[in-house]
Amino acid sequence: MSAGENSLPPEAADALAAVVALRRLADQLEDAAVEQAMRAGWSWPQVSEALGVTRQAVHKKHAKRLIAAGVKLRRRGDERV
Amino acid sequence: MSAFDKYLHAVIVRAMDEAQDDGSATIDAHHLLLSLAADHGSTAQQVLASVGLDRAAVREALDREFEHSLSVVGVSPAAYDLPGPSHASQQPKMGASARLALERSFSSARKTDLRSAHLLLGILQAQIGTVPRALALAGIDQAELADRVLQTLNSQDQ
Repeated sequence: MSAGENSLPPEAADALAAVVALRRLADQLEDAAVEQAMRAGWSWPQVSEALGVTRQAVHKKHAKRLIAAGVKLRRRGDERV
Repeated sequence: MSAFDKYLHAVIVRAMDEAQDDGSATIDAHHLLLSLAADHGSTAQQVLASVGLDRAAVREALDREFEHSLSVVGVSPAAYDLPGPSHASQQPKMGASARLALERSFSSARKTDLRSAHLLLGILQAQIGTVPRALALAGIDQAELADRVLQTLNSQDQ
Protein backbone atom coordinates (compact mmCIF):
# COMPACT_ATOMS: atom_id res chain seq x y z
CA MET A 1 0.00 0.00 0.00
CA SER A 2 1.32 3.41 -0.89
CA ALA A 3 1.46 6.15 1.70
CA GLY A 4 -0.62 8.61 -0.24
CA GLU A 5 -3.51 6.29 -0.88
CA ASN A 6 -6.03 8.36 1.04
CA SER A 7 -4.86 11.74 -0.14
CA LEU A 8 -6.15 13.41 -3.27
CA PRO A 9 -3.18 13.90 -5.56
CA PRO A 10 -3.48 17.00 -7.74
CA GLU A 11 -2.64 14.95 -10.83
CA ALA A 12 -5.80 12.91 -10.25
CA ALA A 13 -7.85 16.09 -9.94
CA ASP A 14 -6.35 17.34 -13.21
CA ALA A 15 -7.01 14.03 -14.96
CA LEU A 16 -10.63 13.91 -13.76
CA ALA A 17 -11.20 17.56 -14.72
CA ALA A 18 -9.74 16.78 -18.15
CA VAL A 19 -12.39 14.04 -18.54
CA VAL A 20 -15.13 16.57 -17.74
CA ALA A 21 -13.67 19.14 -20.14
CA LEU A 22 -13.17 16.60 -22.93
CA ARG A 23 -16.79 15.41 -22.60
CA ARG A 24 -17.94 19.00 -22.87
CA LEU A 25 -15.70 19.59 -25.88
CA ALA A 26 -16.88 16.33 -27.49
CA ASP A 27 -20.52 17.38 -26.98
CA GLN A 28 -19.85 20.78 -28.52
CA LEU A 29 -18.01 19.16 -31.44
CA GLU A 30 -20.80 16.66 -31.98
CA ASP A 31 -23.45 19.39 -32.03
CA ALA A 32 -21.45 21.46 -34.50
CA ALA A 33 -20.40 18.52 -36.68
CA VAL A 34 -23.88 16.99 -36.93
CA GLU A 35 -25.34 20.40 -37.80
CA GLN A 36 -22.64 20.94 -40.42
CA ALA A 37 -23.28 17.51 -41.95
CA MET A 38 -27.06 17.95 -42.04
CA ARG A 39 -26.73 21.39 -43.59
CA ALA A 40 -24.48 19.79 -46.21
CA GLY A 41 -27.22 17.31 -47.07
CA TRP A 42 -26.13 14.20 -45.16
CA SER A 43 -28.92 11.82 -44.13
CA TRP A 44 -29.58 10.54 -40.61
CA PRO A 45 -28.33 7.01 -41.51
CA GLN A 46 -25.09 8.48 -42.87
CA VAL A 47 -24.49 10.66 -39.81
CA SER A 48 -25.31 7.82 -37.42
CA GLU A 49 -22.98 5.46 -39.27
CA ALA A 50 -20.21 8.06 -39.15
CA LEU A 51 -20.68 8.52 -35.41
CA GLY A 52 -21.05 4.79 -34.78
CA VAL A 53 -24.37 5.12 -32.98
CA THR A 54 -27.94 4.20 -33.90
CA ARG A 55 -30.06 6.44 -36.09
CA GLN A 56 -32.58 6.70 -33.26
CA ALA A 57 -29.91 7.99 -30.88
CA VAL A 58 -28.72 10.70 -33.27
CA HIS A 59 -32.26 11.69 -34.14
CA LYS A 60 -33.32 11.88 -30.51
CA LYS A 61 -30.29 13.97 -29.58
CA HIS A 62 -30.28 16.43 -32.48
CA ALA A 63 -33.51 16.52 -34.51
CA LYS A 64 -35.42 19.04 -32.37
CA ARG A 65 -32.48 21.41 -32.16
CA LEU A 66 -31.79 21.31 -35.90
CA ILE A 67 -35.44 21.77 -36.84
CA ALA A 68 -35.60 24.73 -34.44
CA ALA A 69 -32.47 26.11 -36.13
CA GLY A 70 -34.20 25.86 -39.50
CA VAL A 71 -31.92 23.18 -40.95
CA LYS A 72 -33.59 21.40 -43.85
CA LEU A 73 -33.48 17.72 -42.98
CA ARG A 74 -33.52 14.97 -45.59
CA ARG A 75 -36.27 12.46 -45.17
CA ARG A 76 -36.13 8.72 -45.66
CA GLY A 77 -36.39 7.79 -49.34
CA ASP A 78 -34.72 11.08 -50.16
CA GLU A 79 -31.38 9.33 -50.68
CA ARG A 80 -29.18 10.59 -53.43
CA VAL A 81 -28.33 8.15 -56.24
CA MET B 1 -44.56 30.05 -2.19
CA SER B 2 -42.32 31.86 0.28
CA ALA B 3 -40.14 34.77 -0.81
CA PHE B 4 -37.12 32.49 -0.74
CA ASP B 5 -38.86 29.87 -2.91
CA LYS B 6 -39.57 32.56 -5.48
CA TYR B 7 -35.98 33.77 -5.30
CA LEU B 8 -34.66 30.21 -5.67
CA HIS B 9 -36.90 29.64 -8.67
CA ALA B 10 -35.55 32.78 -10.34
CA VAL B 11 -31.96 31.70 -9.63
CA ILE B 12 -32.58 28.27 -11.16
CA VAL B 13 -34.32 29.69 -14.23
CA ARG B 14 -31.34 31.99 -14.85
CA ALA B 15 -28.94 29.07 -14.28
CA MET B 16 -30.93 27.09 -16.85
CA ASP B 17 -30.42 29.88 -19.39
CA GLU B 18 -26.69 29.81 -18.64
CA ALA B 19 -26.64 26.02 -19.16
CA GLN B 20 -28.50 26.38 -22.44
CA ASP B 21 -26.07 29.08 -23.65
CA ASP B 22 -23.29 26.68 -22.71
CA GLY B 23 -24.84 23.91 -24.80
CA SER B 24 -24.99 21.87 -21.60
CA ALA B 25 -27.67 19.21 -21.04
CA THR B 26 -27.42 19.76 -17.28
CA ILE B 27 -27.56 22.72 -14.91
CA ASP B 28 -24.27 22.49 -13.04
CA ALA B 29 -22.99 24.21 -9.90
CA HIS B 30 -21.08 26.73 -12.01
CA HIS B 31 -24.31 27.73 -13.77
CA LEU B 32 -25.81 28.49 -10.35
CA LEU B 33 -22.72 30.58 -9.57
CA LEU B 34 -23.13 32.55 -12.83
CA SER B 35 -26.78 33.07 -11.95
CA LEU B 36 -25.97 34.40 -8.46
CA ALA B 37 -23.23 36.69 -9.82
CA ALA B 38 -25.73 38.23 -12.25
CA ASP B 39 -28.38 38.85 -9.60
CA HIS B 40 -27.83 42.53 -8.86
CA GLY B 41 -28.67 43.72 -5.38
CA SER B 42 -28.64 40.34 -3.66
CA THR B 43 -26.26 39.63 -0.78
CA ALA B 44 -24.68 36.77 -2.74
CA GLN B 45 -23.96 39.06 -5.69
CA GLN B 46 -22.52 41.75 -3.40
CA VAL B 47 -20.15 39.33 -1.68
CA LEU B 48 -19.01 37.99 -5.05
CA ALA B 49 -18.52 41.53 -6.37
CA SER B 50 -16.45 42.42 -3.28
CA VAL B 51 -13.74 40.04 -4.56
CA GLY B 52 -14.14 41.19 -8.16
CA LEU B 53 -16.42 38.39 -9.28
CA ASP B 54 -19.16 39.82 -11.46
CA ARG B 55 -20.84 37.56 -13.99
CA ALA B 56 -18.26 38.29 -16.69
CA ALA B 57 -15.39 37.51 -14.31
CA VAL B 58 -16.98 34.19 -13.31
CA ARG B 59 -17.52 33.31 -16.98
CA GLU B 60 -13.89 34.16 -17.73
CA ALA B 61 -12.67 32.01 -14.82
CA LEU B 62 -14.81 29.09 -16.07
CA ASP B 63 -13.46 29.45 -19.61
CA ARG B 64 -9.93 29.45 -18.26
CA GLU B 65 -10.64 26.31 -16.24
CA PHE B 66 -12.00 24.59 -19.35
CA GLU B 67 -8.94 25.48 -21.39
CA HIS B 68 -6.57 24.61 -18.56
CA SER B 69 -8.17 21.20 -17.99
CA LEU B 70 -7.98 20.41 -21.70
CA SER B 71 -4.36 21.52 -21.88
CA VAL B 72 -3.47 18.89 -19.26
CA VAL B 73 -4.17 16.23 -21.91
CA GLY B 74 -2.68 18.29 -24.73
CA VAL B 75 -5.92 19.54 -26.26
CA SER B 76 -6.56 23.10 -27.33
CA PRO B 77 -10.21 24.01 -28.00
CA ALA B 78 -8.99 26.75 -30.34
CA ALA B 79 -7.56 24.03 -32.61
CA TYR B 80 -11.07 23.21 -33.83
CA ASP B 81 -12.54 25.58 -36.35
CA LEU B 82 -16.12 24.39 -36.65
CA PRO B 83 -19.03 26.81 -36.84
CA GLY B 84 -20.81 27.14 -33.50
CA PRO B 85 -23.81 24.83 -33.13
CA SER B 86 -27.37 26.05 -32.72
CA HIS B 87 -28.48 25.99 -29.12
CA ALA B 88 -30.19 22.98 -27.62
CA SER B 89 -33.94 23.26 -27.71
CA GLN B 90 -34.64 20.99 -24.76
CA GLN B 91 -34.48 22.29 -21.21
CA PRO B 92 -31.33 21.37 -19.30
CA LYS B 93 -32.00 19.19 -16.26
CA MET B 94 -30.58 19.65 -12.79
CA GLY B 95 -27.11 18.06 -12.68
CA ALA B 96 -25.35 16.30 -9.80
CA SER B 97 -23.07 19.20 -8.83
CA ALA B 98 -25.96 21.68 -8.70
CA ARG B 99 -28.05 19.26 -6.62
CA LEU B 100 -25.17 18.86 -4.19
CA ALA B 101 -24.74 22.64 -3.92
CA LEU B 102 -28.46 23.09 -3.18
CA GLU B 103 -28.44 20.27 -0.62
CA ARG B 104 -25.51 21.93 1.15
CA SER B 105 -27.34 25.27 1.06
CA PHE B 106 -30.52 23.84 2.51
CA SER B 107 -28.67 22.09 5.33
CA SER B 108 -26.85 25.32 6.28
CA ALA B 109 -29.93 26.99 7.79
CA ARG B 110 -33.52 26.44 8.85
CA LYS B 111 -35.85 26.60 5.89
CA THR B 112 -37.42 29.87 7.03
CA ASP B 113 -33.98 31.47 7.45
CA LEU B 114 -32.68 30.63 3.97
CA ARG B 115 -31.38 33.55 1.91
CA SER B 116 -29.34 34.17 -1.25
CA ALA B 117 -26.09 33.98 0.70
CA HIS B 118 -26.90 30.40 1.74
CA LEU B 119 -27.06 29.43 -1.93
CA LEU B 120 -23.62 30.92 -2.48
CA LEU B 121 -22.36 29.15 0.64
CA GLY B 122 -23.62 25.80 -0.67
CA ILE B 123 -21.74 26.33 -3.94
CA LEU B 124 -18.56 27.43 -2.13
CA GLN B 125 -18.59 24.38 0.15
CA ALA B 126 -17.55 22.15 -2.75
CA GLN B 127 -13.89 21.16 -2.43
CA ILE B 128 -13.78 19.35 -5.73
CA GLY B 129 -15.01 20.17 -9.20
CA THR B 130 -15.23 22.93 -11.78
CA VAL B 131 -16.09 25.78 -9.40
CA PRO B 132 -13.14 25.30 -6.98
CA ARG B 133 -10.76 24.87 -9.91
CA ALA B 134 -12.05 27.96 -11.70
CA LEU B 135 -11.85 30.09 -8.53
CA ALA B 136 -8.31 28.90 -7.83
CA LEU B 137 -7.24 29.77 -11.37
CA ALA B 138 -8.77 33.22 -10.94
CA GLY B 139 -6.67 33.69 -7.80
CA ILE B 140 -9.67 33.63 -5.46
CA ASP B 141 -9.22 32.18 -1.97
CA GLN B 142 -12.36 30.06 -1.80
CA ALA B 143 -12.20 29.42 1.97
CA GLU B 144 -11.82 33.14 2.66
CA LEU B 145 -14.72 33.91 0.34
CA ALA B 146 -16.89 31.36 2.18
CA ASP B 147 -15.89 33.03 5.48
CA ARG B 148 -16.95 36.37 4.06
CA VAL B 149 -20.35 34.90 3.21
CA LEU B 150 -20.70 33.52 6.73
CA GLN B 151 -19.72 36.86 8.30
CA THR B 152 -22.28 38.63 6.14
CA LEU B 153 -24.96 36.16 7.21
CA ASN B 154 -24.02 36.57 10.89
CA SER B 155 -24.05 40.36 10.71
CA GLN B 156 -27.48 40.26 9.06
CA ASP B 157 -28.77 38.08 11.87
CA GLN B 158 -27.88 40.62 14.52
